[in-house]
Amino acid sequence: MDAQKVDMFIMTNNKYFESHQLEPIRKRLLELDESKWTMIQTLQFKDPTTSLIVSLLGGGFGIDRFLIGDTGMGVGKLLTCGGLGIWTIIDWFMIMGATREKNVEKIMTVL
Amino acid sequence: MTNQPNKFYFFVSVACFTGYLWLWVNFFNQQLGAFTQVEACFIKKTTSIPCPSCGSTRSLISLIQGDFSQALYFNPIGFVIAIIMIVAPIWLITDLIVRKKSFYIFFKKMERILQKKIVFIPLTIFFILNWIWNITKAL
Repeated sequence: MDAQKVDMFIMTNNKYFESHQLEPIRKRLLELDESKWTMIQTLQFKDPTTSLIVSLLGGGFGIDRFLIGDTGMGVGKLLTCGGLGIWTIIDWFMIMGATREKNVEKIMTVL
Repeated sequence: MTNQPNKFYFFVSVACFTGYLWLWVNFFNQQLGAFTQVEACFIKKTTSIPCPSCGSTRSLISLIQGDFSQALYFNPIGFVIAIIMIVAPIWLITDLIVRKKSFYIFFKKMERILQKKIVFIPLTIFFILNWIWNITKAL
């Protein structure tokens, strides 16, 4: 794919991915066929900041995990009062990274 | 966090260990006659409203003592947790011995089932009703 397009994509979407994964994604995008460009552009990514806000407010119910699509972990958090409150606090710090990882998983299904 | 089987198995073992430790502490606390429960629920402490899963420890203790109706009264979720706590360690150890990933595959499958609207809407309604019941009981 066109390098300019790829760089533009990376620039606008870099907050959705882990920094160390940006380079592999860029390489894969460059190798990608032009026909997949529209598909890549229509992908919806979860914003890490939003999930952090949700985690701070509804972390005790596991809503943050449900939001990013980690249903199993969400149920676990919900059933245990947010992991006795400890898991809730851990997730305040982990959730942004988890969201980015989910986003990478999502883009990898297309790449 | 649970994208790789190894992480998932590690996570489940930690969760099981903590769960059993928590149950053990609470069980002996009750056996000693100390009715001052060890409470960890953030929501209950900050808002004084019980959360949807408050009372599940008491429910589990009642289950161990064989009092099923009491367990149901405290929190029906206790039964779900009891099943998970019995099945998870056994499945985990079996998987480790036979070197298969059946538990992880099952977990991923369940995740996909839970994301269906037909499944999660009734469950959510049940959960909210249970929560309302919890608040009226003032656990």
